[in-house]
Amino acid sequence: MKDISTSEDDSNLLVMVIDTNPFEWEHPSAPLKLNEALQHILAFMNAHLAGRHDNKLAVIASHVGVSKFLYPTPNEPIPGGKALTKKDANAYQNFKVVDDAVLEGIKRLLADPKPTLEEKDLGSSKIAASLSLGLCYINQTLKLDALGHIKPRMLVLTVSPDSSSDYIPIMNCIFSAQKANIPIDVCKIWGEDAVFLQQAAHITEGIYMRPNDPRGLLQVLMFSFLPDMFARNYLYLPGQDQVDFRAACFCHKKIVDIGFVCSVCLSIFCSFSPVCSTCRTKFAFQPLLNPARRLGAKSGASNPGSPRPSTPTTPSQ
Amino acid sequence: MATNGRRQLVEDDEDIIDVDDSSLMNNQANYAWEEEYKRSWDVLQEDEHGSLAGVVNSLQQAAKRKRLLRDTDPIQRGIIRHLFIIIDLSKAMQEKDLRPSRLSLTFTYLEAFIAEFFDQNPISQIGLVGTKDGLAEKLTELSGNPTEHIRALKLKKFQETGGEPSLQNALEMARSSLVHVPAHGSREILVIMGSLTTTDPGNIHDTITQLTQDNIRASVIALAAEVQVLKVLTMQTKGTFGVAMNEGHYRDLLFEVIPPTAVTTTKSASNLVQMGFPSRSNDSAATLCACHGKLTLGGYICPRCNAKLCDIPTECDICTLTLVSSPLLARSYHHLFPVENFIEVAWKDAAATSQCFSCQKLFLNPHKISPQLQSTTDAGRYQCKLCEQTFCADCDVFIHDVLHNCPGCLSQPRRKTGSALNPGAGSSRT
Repeated sequence: MKDISTSEDDSNLLVMVIDTNPFEWEHPSAPLKLNEALQHILAFMNAHLAGRHDNKLAVIASHVGVSKFLYPTPNEPIPGGKALTKKDANAYQNFKVVDDAVLEGIKRLLADPKPTLEEKDLGSSKIAASLSLGLCYINQTLKLDALGHIKPRMLVLTVSPDSSSDYIPIMNCIFSAQKANIPIDVCKIWGEDAVFLQQAAHITEGIYMRPNDPRGLLQVLMFSFLPDMFARNYLYLPGQDQVDFRAACFCHKKIVDIGFVCSVCLSIFCSFSPVCSTCRTKFAFQPLLNPARRLGAKSGASNPGSPRPSTPTTPSQ
Repeated sequence: MATNGRRQLVEDDEDIIDVDDSSLMNNQANYAWEEEYKRSWDVLQEDEHGSLAGVVNSLQQAAKRKRLLRDTDPIQRGIIRHLFIIIDLSKAMQEKDLRPSRLSLTFTYLEAFIAEFFDQNPISQIGLVGTKDGLAEKLTELSGNPTEHIRALKLKKFQETGGEPSLQNALEMARSSLVHVPAHGSREILVIMGSLTTTDPGNIHDTITQLTQDNIRASVIALAAEVQVLKVLTMQTKGTFGVAMNEGHYRDLLFEVIPPTAVTTTKSASNLVQMGFPSRSNDSAATLCACHGKLTLGGYICPRCNAKLCDIPTECDICTLTLVSSPLLARSYHHLFPVENFIEVAWKDAAATSQCFSCQKLFLNPHKISPQLQSTTDAGRYQCKLCEQTFCADCDVFIHDVLHNCPGCLSQPRRKTGSALNPGAGSSRT
């Protein structure tokens, strides 16, 4: 990757993707409730805005089946809602506008009739859609910025597991972010490791973290994810040394060291099969079997490499 | 051109106008001097306030989108590509009609081309061949490492020119390397020719027939003019032929080669290629690497022969196993599942949407734009057919060139029927 020249005069654009998947947040085994987590997240957002006067922020919610901008608020007519929030003399306006927009947006998302369980299988939290929206927004902001001092980055706060059909869209987002030097940081608040997002953080040189105790979320956010691009040159931030990039085969989902790749659709198999299961291409020839297998084969075992006897063997007694 | 215009003004002859119209109506493949005289400055017209800004904007947008409308069928494409680039190093390349000179511009563009090519086709290989003084010289062998090629391009000794190019020698040299390529990879040659002549030892048509038999596809970018022999070469091998008109057009022609083209014949057998997925090892003590023989601290271990290599993708020097990583294969997926082209929304339907779905930019309000201006500018709204969300022009370019995901389609709950967005249903990768 190219070296990004950062200076202390850069303003930062932080695009946050908050996973609001209700199936995960309201699971009985969840160590943290959504409203508690939101308090931590709002404090973190205010801290980012407080860092420099021209720091910018955008928040996207990644919900089941839909992905929406929370801030900047899209100009939709709010049905039955107040057009403007009342100005509060005790609150700093910049913070208040953002906090209110985010809370209002999440409330509206969750108030929608809950998606049924079948839809949950169709689409767990739409991380790929949110990343795409964020990248388009960053692209637009960079185009409008004349001076070239805005340094963008993305932060994903997620609790849901990976959804397998999101692999290709997430990889597309990762490569676009890598080309544009946008690091994608990931904080998995609780749950198992999300492997796609681990790869995302590794390829784009972002940070992947899973805090030990989710109730200390604000501390983790402040110490690991708050420093901007310039400060990261001087800090040693937590991360991971090894990400397993080995692929899993399509047929058994086990990790392969040496696999067979279909030259048409690039799907990976652990052993040879005459037809590709994804693209239905027939393959031309079979490779020779391993010599070890041939030596250990008993008489009468099928051995496609060697010619078969023309007369069928009579059934033995 | 000038006499034609004057004649139209003075004589208004029926014959001349008829000839022009009929040639226009027949086909577009005529030569430029046979078509009707175009006055390209008429496109710029001032609007009622006397400003040209709207027209200039719409011209820029049209130029941006012209590059985007490409083939988006999910069809079989040759993903594993082997491309030989034949560079003309003859005296004709010293001409200065393309600034600073044809040769230096070619080399500059080739460096950018190689970087972008390996970005889009990570498991492919490129080789470079130069031709001058009637001979062909191999600059680099077929390899998948971009730094090697870029280093070769920067060497001074490869930038000397002289004499005449030899098309047949260069094609034969490329062909002799390409025949050893396994059948599942696509075999391509790209010829960059600046001279109008070639000196060959034998019959060039024999070479062309051989290339067709070996399934090698040759494309040509000519810098001077259209030469019959090159045209025949591309037509018989089913490649593309282009003549560069200016620097920008040259770059566009060159970069059109980058996206993989469709597989035309089923003769190219598709196979299961054996590939290794090495894991990275960080040693505490330095060990020798197998590719350069240098002492390095970390590297990738080949799963078949346990040799240490510095970088992937590469072919293991010991056991010739192709080594890749799964993100590398994932880079090519967007060729197989491209994003649909967006259709432009007309002004009459424009009032339905007020901002871009993905970047929140406000569109032009149709009520505030006069009808006269509306006829010359676009509404600025582009809609995806599948998800029916509208996007602005910048997002359109970004989505189709860089991102390859439509945010609208991704934001919708997936349909149960297998669509292009859900290729390997039920299969997962880690």
